[in-house]
Amino acid sequence: MPERDYSEAALRSNPKGLAALFNSGSATARLWRPDELTAIFRHQLTAPVLVDLGRLDLGAAAKLKGLTDAQGLILKSFAELFHHPTPPIELLAMTKDFAKANMSQPESALPHEIATAIYYLSIAAAAVRLGERISQLPDADLRRGYAWACAQEWIDADTKALLLTASGRLSGSSP
Amino acid sequence: MSEGPLPEEPKPSVFPETQWTQLGGAAVGGTDDLDRLIRQYWAPLRIFFLATFPQLRADADTWLQDFAEDKMLKAGWLSRADRSRGRFRDFLKTSLRNFVYDRLNLAAAKRTAVPFDAVEADLAQPAEPSEAFDLMWVRTVLSETLKRMEADCRDPAEDQPRRSYIWEMFRIRLLDPIFNDTEPPPYSELIQRFELVSPTDASNLLFSGKRIFKAHLNRVIQDYAGRDAATAGEIKALEEFVAGLAARG
Repeated sequence: MPERDYSEAALRSNPKGLAALFNSGSATARLWRPDELTAIFRHQLTAPVLVDLGRLDLGAAAKLKGLTDAQGLILKSFAELFHHPTPPIELLAMTKDFAKANMSQPESALPHEIATAIYYLSIAAAAVRLGERISQLPDADLRRGYAWACAQEWIDADTKALLLTASGRLSGSSP
Repeated sequence: MSEGPLPEEPKPSVFPETQWTQLGGAAVGGTDDLDRLIRQYWAPLRIFFLATFPQLRADADTWLQDFAEDKMLKAGWLSRADRSRGRFRDFLKTSLRNFVYDRLNLAAAKRTAVPFDAVEADLAQPAEPSEAFDLMWVRTVLSETLKRMEADCRDPAEDQPRRSYIWEMFRIRLLDPIFNDTEPPPYSELIQRFELVSPTDASNLLFSGKRIFKAHLNRVIQDYAGRDAATAGEIKALEEFVAGLAARG
């Protein structure tokens, strides 16, 4: 019978369990296992753009409301944004900022790997769909970032294709 | 029907309220806080007593009740716990040990029947009694933390159902794997269970759980260690203690 009285269980716990319990309060301990990244990435791509970008900060929420051209896309998912033939550049820039904010925070709400993938995806979508550059990273760094993302097992085929296309358009790429 | 042997490690509430109120004596300020503190840490005190003075085992509860009445509840006892000189836990142990020594020496001086071998037995001061006390202390602290956290999260006056979701997520992702040796349910299952719109929802539930756990842990320790640096120092000390024990296997 599984223990449901955790207060009682703590009174009988061995040192290993007690140490794990102390660690459970740590903000730096990893929240999700590597084998869960596929499900998390898939969920992130289906999440409405408005939900996550709207939480960025008050300024972002106001900016989103003002993006009348993007209204339809705001209500759609990140996947639809990245694969839209003409996504609004402001939305892609905000997505890049959202991802970057999560990459740099220790208490990030997104696993670091997922945030990094979203970061490079937003840059790739701007380059491929609009021919626009929304990052100041040099091409060599972008190429490395795209290659890293493509190498992840949890990245789906359509996403990989977008990243590969973006990589192919960087300077120094083979024709 | 036989009830079987008494458990080696009694629960913190081994000293029932009715007996407590019958102790009499004037508590310093009669504070509810001191009362709650003594009750909460009764189990580790008892363990320390039994390990340090095994020959006095038969009268352990009497000794502890006398210690509570003659020392802990007396004016100035708690104020002598100088937090700049050491931890409250160590002060408790020293105070109890000295109390027993004094009583035994007094009995010897009066030539009353006293277990002299009990005095000799603890001259060696093995590390084990202190370690056993500290282990039970940590268990008690964490037990109380989880009790308060669950009550807080399930409180209907709080933001529900979110607050209950926080406890549930903390429970299935962290507590069950620790106490029931289970694998956490896969992420895909959590989406339905907690109506998650985005992975940030899931992470935020877990982060909230961690923050609430930490806040309650701080308060439980603050109850006896004092504020700020003393509490942070005590948490670090307890964490290092169990990590050391865990590493020994």
